[in-house]
Amino acid sequence: MTIRRILIFAPLLIIIILLQSYFWVPTYEQQTRGNPNRLDDYIFASGGDASILNPVLSADVPSSRVENLVFDSLIDLDAELRYRGRLATGWQIYEEAYFYVNPSARIPGLDVTVPQAIVDLILDAKQDSRKTDRELQDSLDNIKNILVQPPRNFSEIREVKLEKTTEEKRVIKFEVTAPARIKMVLNRVDQELFTNLGRLLGHDYFSSFHGEYYVSSDVPLGNQRLRAQAQEILPATEHNPVIEFHLRPGVKFHDGHIFDAYDVRFTYQALMNPKNLSPRIADFEPVKSVAVIDPLTVRIVYKRLYSPALGTWSMGILPEHLLNSQALVKEAIRFNKDPGTFTMRDSRLIRNPTGCGPFVFRQWKSDQHIILDRFDDYWEGPPNYKRYIYRIIPDILTQEMEFYAGTIDSYGNPLGGIPPHQVQRLKNDPRYQNFSGTSLSYTYIGYNMRRKPFDDRRVRRALGMAIDVDKIIKYVLYNQGERTTGPFAKQTDFYNHRIKALTYDPQRALKLLKEVGWKRNSAGWLEKDGKKFQFTLITNSGNDIRKAILAIAQDAWKQIGIDVRTDLLEWSVFIQERVDKADFDVLILGWTTPINPDPYQVWHSSQTHPYQLNFVGFQNKQADELIIKIRQEYDHGKQVEYCQRFHELIAREQPYTFLYVPKWTAILDKRIVIKEQGADGKVRYKKIEPTKTGDYTFHFNKWIKLPDEPLFLNEG
Amino acid sequence: MLSFIGRSFIQKIITIIFVSVISFLIIHLAPGEPSQVDPLNPKFTPEVVERFRKEFHLDEPLYKQYLFFYQDLFTGKTVSWKDNQSVLKKIWERFLNSLPLFILGTILTWTLSFPVGIRSAIFRGGLYDRSATFFSYLLISIPGFFFAYILIILVVTRFHVPVLGMETFGISDASWPSVAMDRIWHLLIPSVLGATAGIAVLSRYVRSQMLEVEGQDYVRTAKAKGLPPDTVHYKHALRNALIPFVTMFGLILPGLIGGSVIIESIFSWPGIGRMAYEAILARDYPVILTVNFVSAVLVLVGTFISDILYMVVDPRIRI
Repeated sequence: MTIRRILIFAPLLIIIILLQSYFWVPTYEQQTRGNPNRLDDYIFASGGDASILNPVLSADVPSSRVENLVFDSLIDLDAELRYRGRLATGWQIYEEAYFYVNPSARIPGLDVTVPQAIVDLILDAKQDSRKTDRELQDSLDNIKNILVQPPRNFSEIREVKLEKTTEEKRVIKFEVTAPARIKMVLNRVDQELFTNLGRLLGHDYFSSFHGEYYVSSDVPLGNQRLRAQAQEILPATEHNPVIEFHLRPGVKFHDGHIFDAYDVRFTYQALMNPKNLSPRIADFEPVKSVAVIDPLTVRIVYKRLYSPALGTWSMGILPEHLLNSQALVKEAIRFNKDPGTFTMRDSRLIRNPTGCGPFVFRQWKSDQHIILDRFDDYWEGPPNYKRYIYRIIPDILTQEMEFYAGTIDSYGNPLGGIPPHQVQRLKNDPRYQNFSGTSLSYTYIGYNMRRKPFDDRRVRRALGMAIDVDKIIKYVLYNQGERTTGPFAKQTDFYNHRIKALTYDPQRALKLLKEVGWKRNSAGWLEKDGKKFQFTLITNSGNDIRKAILAIAQDAWKQIGIDVRTDLLEWSVFIQERVDKADFDVLILGWTTPINPDPYQVWHSSQTHPYQLNFVGFQNKQADELIIKIRQEYDHGKQVEYCQRFHELIAREQPYTFLYVPKWTAILDKRIVIKEQGADGKVRYKKIEPTKTGDYTFHFNKWIKLPDEPLFLNEG
Repeated sequence: MLSFIGRSFIQKIITIIFVSVISFLIIHLAPGEPSQVDPLNPKFTPEVVERFRKEFHLDEPLYKQYLFFYQDLFTGKTVSWKDNQSVLKKIWERFLNSLPLFILGTILTWTLSFPVGIRSAIFRGGLYDRSATFFSYLLISIPGFFFAYILIILVVTRFHVPVLGMETFGISDASWPSVAMDRIWHLLIPSVLGATAGIAVLSRYVRSQMLEVEGQDYVRTAKAKGLPPDTVHYKHALRNALIPFVTMFGLILPGLIGGSVIIESIFSWPGIGRMAYEAILARDYPVILTVNFVSAVLVLVGTFISDILYMVVDPRIRI
């Protein structure tokens, strides 16, 4: 019967054809040990694909990782987390400060208010060797140059919101007759300059300057609104910090074009171009101007004091000659697109980038791999690896299998370590070298301080003391975490290590709560004025660790007589309905901690409105002052001091119960070592050593894989 | 016949309009924002968020957004928010990647289910039938991802060959037969996994269909006539049992664009299911809505084809 035979033999035949393909497939052995070229490749596995390979247009983790290899930045962080020059050989930071001459103010010891007289007064005070006022003297000594800018007239067109209720804006023209202004050039940035000058010129000299006397509008505005506008058009005082970068000569882009200051300016312009929708725009909003002084010098002037400014330049620099408007028009015409609407986001270069980093872009297959070749003309010397391959393997278990097979070179990385339960086993595995460090993030329990009884810091402290965080770290995290006490990255100087974490002590917690008036009733629940201590603890679903903490905290608080309910919410519901609207009692969440501290958005009292990040409603005058000072301070030592004081304050107030900083662990094949060529031309091999902050990839360009596991003498 | 085609065409157009409106509403009213508009990133000031919302038309009323989207879709201008690439081009690329998986999976399902199911039906209640039933239910109930991991670990540790991706990494420099065979090998395991549940279910259908037909009078008559059992089973019974399956061919069409999220993620397969899943997580509305729209069209085309096929194979059906 033919039908019967077909029904049986057809599937058999198909299965045989399929199975025989096994004999054609190269085994792992052939791919790794049998393939000498494999030693020249570094293969990295990532869970997600990059989106856009252009540092101005994207800021997601996978894209940034590739961008960092293809593009080079002006500066980056060295092993000690200090800035070092890359495309820049050096830089200076100084300040230009301005204030308007205020004719209505009386200056002590001065009868005339001629601008030159004020300049002379300041210069005299600077010369004065009778150092009566130390801080004023410091500010005066810092003035390098002072001069008068004559009065001038100009007009300015601004968009003004006329009604409070509507979003509508009107275009209004302002006529300005600005008075004389005094300009000072300072050796270093000085945020206290005007406070200190106030001691010389009179305390209300700057605050009594009325900009609205010099401004008129073509449409009548109310007094108040005019004053607000005038304050922006003619600010009484102005700090303009300046960064001047000196660029490295002779650096080449991958296409051979020479890098210069115009590329830096172009990168800034591309970032600020609203058509490009750059996610980094907020970083560069404080920039007033970027000027090319000569092809190797670029000067960036800022509108106001903004200490994170230097760090923002650790972003990759784009090649102007390939992406400027002429180049884009040319590309649009070549591909038959409308040059009017063609932007950098449409350019082919977002998937075929050219930079001046250590690796040249070669190929990108979406959701499969990105291949980079080494750049032989890299200014620091080419990397040892010939290729960098970025493979996309979304599943962590198959990543692990591929690592054991040798077809990827590392398992785990600082941004996503290996799963905590595997750490102990893999650390003891003699075939691999392992690296660990603390993450730049922390997990916390946040209390909504708008609600009672969380407005009392003793209650928050008591709640924190009732939770055994050490046990959470031990059992939930398999010891892959560290306690933390404040909002700064533990690796940095800003973190105040003198602050002790809350100790687990439910008895003292109860005592503290008793002070506030919470007593245990007959059923064992805490009660105050006849009301039970009751609240809801929430977090997002999909995070098993947070879910475990939720249960542990609930239980711990129940032990001291608090009735806690818990709720798990889908991430976007959690954020939109609860966090953004500040509609919660207590929540578990995490923050990433930048290397550069800027606690403004999360902790300043002006950021407590809906949709802002100070959703716990932390308000503290002292903290506000410190936050502003941290934001404006350019001196590292002083900034450290302010941050440590801020950290202390946070630890005292306990707006969050800070739980832990996760630890990451990554493992690498032991055959990967550092290869260095000494001045004598001799090649030396060294073991990979992590930097003080745990970054083991810091010397990545010197890495190479050896055919056999090396034996280092100092290891014995 | 023609009037049936005309009527059904109009019905399907109306359905597709409803589907487009409802899916648009569901996706836009669900909580969450595109990952580009990240409200929890301190670097994002309200102005930046506003600018992104404006660029993506998210500040417009929903009906306008709807019109914008479908206008872009039909002029082929829709771009993904994630990487600014044309959505249709992205879907086409991924579709081509998922297609071999789909074809091989379908071939395996349909070629294996019939012999298994028919034999079960013929030897009903025997040891073979009972063990086939047992394995069918086992395969239906075993979670796909778990089965996938077991298979991967087995193949990788026992046979030391790669199974991830569409081809062995870096093989493209080898000769073409080995590249082709390598591709087939990489197809094998994911498509076997994709087919297992299908085989289990379909072979059950085949069995019950066969049993039903075998109980009919004409089959008994054929047996009574003294025809050889093979002729009775494969000619008289099987042909009649096949009718419902012919119509199922139309219904597998939407599977073309569905893809399998789990299998594609585990095997690092750059397929369409994975792309759609990642788009949903990142709230990349243009990609989600386009995939949704295309699959709705395919479902309707599929039902249409199966209606027609039914008429062709079974002359009793008249409209």
